[in-house]
Amino acid sequence: MALLYGLLWRLLLVLVHVNRALVTWLRVRFRGWKGRLWERAMAALLLPLALAGFPDQQKQSKQNPESKANPGTGNRSASRRSRWLCDGRSLEKLPVHIGLLVAEEEPSYTDIANLVVWCMAVGISYVSVYDNQGVFRKNNSRLLEEIVRQQQDLLGVEGSKCSMEILSNGTDKHQHPVVSCRPTVKVLSPEDGKQSIVQAAQQLCRSVENKERSSKDISVSMLDILLREPKNIPDPELVVKFGPVESTLGFLPWHIRLTEFISLPSHKKLSYEDLLGALQRYGTCQQRLGQ
Amino acid sequence: MSWIREGELNLLEKISANVLKAGPMPKHVAFIMDGNRRFARKKNMERQEGHMQGFDKLAETLRWCKHLNIQEVTVYAFSIENFKRTQDEVDGLMELARQKFERLLEERDNLEKHGVCIRVLGDLNMLPLDLQELIAKAVITTRSHNKCFLNVCFAYTSRYEITNAVREMAWGVEQGLIKASDVSEALLSECLYSNNSPNPDLLIRTSGEVRLSDFLLWQTSHSCLVFQSVLWPEYSFWNLCEAILQYQLNHKSIQKARDLYREHQALQQLEADRSCVAEHLQHHGNGKPVDAQRRQEALLHYTACREERVQEFVQLLKHKRDSFFTDLCSKAVLT
Repeated sequence: MALLYGLLWRLLLVLVHVNRALVTWLRVRFRGWKGRLWERAMAALLLPLALAGFPDQQKQSKQNPESKANPGTGNRSASRRSRWLCDGRSLEKLPVHIGLLVAEEEPSYTDIANLVVWCMAVGISYVSVYDNQGVFRKNNSRLLEEIVRQQQDLLGVEGSKCSMEILSNGTDKHQHPVVSCRPTVKVLSPEDGKQSIVQAAQQLCRSVENKERSSKDISVSMLDILLREPKNIPDPELVVKFGPVESTLGFLPWHIRLTEFISLPSHKKLSYEDLLGALQRYGTCQQRLGQ
Repeated sequence: MSWIREGELNLLEKISANVLKAGPMPKHVAFIMDGNRRFARKKNMERQEGHMQGFDKLAETLRWCKHLNIQEVTVYAFSIENFKRTQDEVDGLMELARQKFERLLEERDNLEKHGVCIRVLGDLNMLPLDLQELIAKAVITTRSHNKCFLNVCFAYTSRYEITNAVREMAWGVEQGLIKASDVSEALLSECLYSNNSPNPDLLIRTSGEVRLSDFLLWQTSHSCLVFQSVLWPEYSFWNLCEAILQYQLNHKSIQKARDLYREHQALQQLEADRSCVAEHLQHHGNGKPVDAQRRQEALLHYTACREERVQEFVQLLKHKRDSFFTDLCSKAVLT
């Protein structure tokens, strides 16, 4: 009997896998079809704009001869940029801080860099990238380079001028000179999770050891302030999880108290529309805060 | 309604349960039982009626869990944030809790027969005194039972729980039981309200919300999370099966991530011990170079001492917690 049940269980699992594969396949097909439609519609809409904008761009490029961008791509990236910003504005609400949780083997740097750039382009101020093996943390500079490259590709040279700040409180803290203004990209690894809570706890216990405060004074807000350091970044309102594993895999346990989790099947070859879909879903989430 | 539901599964349910049991099963499942009020609104009932039905569903779910060999269940009954609700609703919920814990005490024989141990996780000091006493009685009556465990999170939030653990460790430091450098992930876990339980394997939230709402943030960092759109009072055996199937699909990869994390954690502890020893040797070694063998011996000695210190502290903390309940209980007898 046990053998029969075992076989049935395996069959059930196979069925679920087949079902999943079918759904993903259909989604990809559907998206491809919709994507093409979307492109054509955009082309039709942007044609007059492109024609009108072209001479302008030429004038500009005459004015700054050192500008390397060729006018065509510059124009395209500008229109893209304004479209993305527009999408961001049209959403019901936009997270201030988004977490990108990669729960897949062999993460793709290009795709993640794309995602980061899109997030910033729609107007999100803080983007955290996390994977549970610490791959991104180890190859911090590679990810950073990729992000800068994608930013130039997607937003054009002007777009990349409003550059971002890369934070990582890991081992290589001092290697990256912090680059100007917002938005901020943060590369996270499991060490930033429970271990950072332990460090904050140690700090508090040390101050108790030195008789600077009593154990009774320790409060939630005290711990929270320590855990927000050094930049006082708000908690992520949204985490988009990529991959088939349904778990946070150690993503910042303290900070995800009210975070909404949205799953996407994979970060590889993800399109802008998929990300926008996730953001739209986030827009419909309502929080009651205990009430 | 009673805490314990008798009765077998029907044939179809039994077959499905057996099929599921052929795969890896979660040992500990946590529930966020969301959607009672929305259910009441949908059915045009009183809000309180929705909460009552929610409790009945919990009793039914416990029965299913028993048949599925799930020994431990943790539920989010009342959050500290819920004190912000209208006075009327908070009073209603407290009254419901009072009734249910009284009922639990009446059913103590049945609980003993099934070996159900009830634990209440949270800061009981925030509750009315009579409810505190009732809860203490229930916890003490069932604490020696060991077949299945029900943890009820009441006046609970995870951040509060973590902060409380830090406070306990700071108390240990104040008392000279441990050093600040002894604070570690493992010790913090021991100081949480949930220190007697393994981490949940599966967390289920109903009613379609996709967040944790300050529930078991520390404990579920490597659990399978399943968000289901059904409202809690409408939860069915099949919903539970679906969640378990989801867990089984994720089992391998989560296990792998857990193992990886455990390795990492052990390494971190070794590193911390090493740096403590190095500091110690520097202070007391008069600047003489220390050979590798002596260093190794010092490390082993330090680790053993630390473990002993921590063990003693954890024992004392457990004792402190136990006496909180016994004190409440004896107070209740006296009055």
